[in-house]
Amino acid sequence: MNNIKIKSKNLNVYYGDKQALFDVNLDLNEKEVTALIGPSGCGKSTFIRCINRMNDVIDICKVTGNIEMDGMNINDKDLDVVSLRERVGMVFQKPNPFPKSIYDNISYGPKIHGKGETKSELDQIVENSLKKSALWEEVKDRLDEPGTSLSGGQQQRLCIARAISVNPEVILMDEPCSALDPIATAKIEELIDELKKTYTIVIVTHSMAQAVRVSQKTGFFHLGKLIEVGNTEKIFKNPDNKMTQDYITGRFG
Amino acid sequence: MSNEHTVKSYEEELQFLKDSLIKMGSLTESQLGDAMDAVIKVDKDSIDKIIKSDEEINKFRSKIDTQIMNLLVKRAPMAIDLRETISSLKISQDLERIGDLSKSNAKKVKPLPLDLPDELLGNLKRLGELVMKQLNDVLDSYVNKNFDKAKEVWKKDEQVDDLTYIAMESVIDFLSKDKKNLDFSTHLIFATKNLERAGDHITNIAETVCYLVKGEYLKGSRPKGKVIQE
Repeated sequence: MNNIKIKSKNLNVYYGDKQALFDVNLDLNEKEVTALIGPSGCGKSTFIRCINRMNDVIDICKVTGNIEMDGMNINDKDLDVVSLRERVGMVFQKPNPFPKSIYDNISYGPKIHGKGETKSELDQIVENSLKKSALWEEVKDRLDEPGTSLSGGQQQRLCIARAISVNPEVILMDEPCSALDPIATAKIEELIDELKKTYTIVIVTHSMAQAVRVSQKTGFFHLGKLIEVGNTEKIFKNPDNKMTQDYITGRFG
Repeated sequence: MSNEHTVKSYEEELQFLKDSLIKMGSLTESQLGDAMDAVIKVDKDSIDKIIKSDEEINKFRSKIDTQIMNLLVKRAPMAIDLRETISSLKISQDLERIGDLSKSNAKKVKPLPLDLPDELLGNLKRLGELVMKQLNDVLDSYVNKNFDKAKEVWKKDEQVDDLTYIAMESVIDFLSKDKKNLDFSTHLIFATKNLERAGDHITNIAETVCYLVKGEYLKGSRPKGKVIQE
C-alpha cells in the first residue's frame, strides 16, 4: 500500500444554504489512481475541487473540516493558492487549450511559475511534457500551430501536457474522456497508467468500465456522501453497500 | 431504491439467462434419473431417448453461451450481475458434463444381462439416488441463492465418494466370483465411476453458487471420501 498523499476528514462543502458534501473522509494514496463515481450532482467534482481550492472562485462556497496534502492543511487561509495549484494540476471534461500555439500552451505554466529561465530550458520542458503525455511524435513538427487546431483527443493530451509541465504531484481529472472517441479515450487511459508512476491521480468518471480499467481505488458518492470506498476490484465485483451495487449495476431509481 | 435495472431489456436478458439455466438444470436432472433407472432396471428400450436428451442439453449449453456473450458485449455487467453471468457460464459447463456422463451410463446398459442380482445393484442404486438428491439440492440452492444449502451439498460429496467405494466393492466382489462376469462388470464399474464424477461436477456447481451469493470462494480443500483417499 502506498503512502497517503491526500487526506480528507469530516469535509463539508456548502454552496450558500445548500450542503454539497457531508463529512467526507477519504484518503488518496500516492502514485495511485483513485476513481470517483456517482450520479450527477453527488459531490464528486465538488470533492476534487477542494483539493486545489477551485471552490474559492465561487463566492457563496464554504468549506469546513480538514483536507490535507502531505500533512499540509489545504484549507489554510494563508496558503498560497497559486503554489498549491502548481502542485495539484487539473484536467477538465472538455479539452480547453489556450488560444495560443502548442508550444505556448505548455510553456505558459512554467514561465509564470518561474520554472524555465532560458529558451532552451523551456524547449526541454515542452518536449518532456509532450513526451510524457504521448503527444510529442504527433506534434513535434508543428509546435507553432494553434493548440485548438488539434483533434479533440490530442487537445486533451495537450491539456495533460500543460498540467504536467509545472511538475505537479497530483493530477485531478474531471471526466477527461467524456468528449472523446474510443481511440482517444484508450490513449488517455494508457497515459493515465503511465502517469501514475510519477503522479497521484484522481479521476471523476461516469464510465464504470473506465473506473475499473484505470483505477486502483474507487469511491462512490451519493447525495454528497461518500457511501463506499475501497479496492476497485472489490467495488466492482462484490461491493459491501447495496446502494453501490445498485448504482454500478444500473439499478438506480 | 428499486431493485430492477433502469434498462428493462437488461433485466429481461438476465432473467432469460437464469430461466435457460434452470431449464437446462431440470433437463439434466431428468436425464440423470432416466439413465440411472435404465441401468438399475436394465431397460434397453430407453437408451435412445436418453442419448437424444443429451443433444437437447448440449443445445441449451450453446444457447446459454450465446446469451452470455451478448450480455458481456451489450451490458458489461458489474458486481452481482457479473457474478450471475460468469456463474451461469460455469454452471452450464458442469451441467453439460453431467449430461455426457448420463449418456455414457445409458450406453453401458446395452451389454448388461437382464438377470442381474439385486445385491449387485443395490449399492449402485443408493449411489444414484444420492447423486440425484445432490443435483436437485444444488439446483435448488442456485434458484433460491441459498449459500448454506450449496455449502451443505459441497460437504456431502464426501458421502458420494464413500458410496462409490462401497458400490465398486460390491461389483468387484461379484466379479471375483466368476470371471465370466468380467465383461459387463467392467461396464458397471465405469457406470459407478461416472456417477462419482457427476458428483464432482455437482460440487463444482455448489462452489459456484457460493461464489455467486457471497462473492467469495469457499475456503479450505474439498471434502474427500474413501475412494479419493485410497
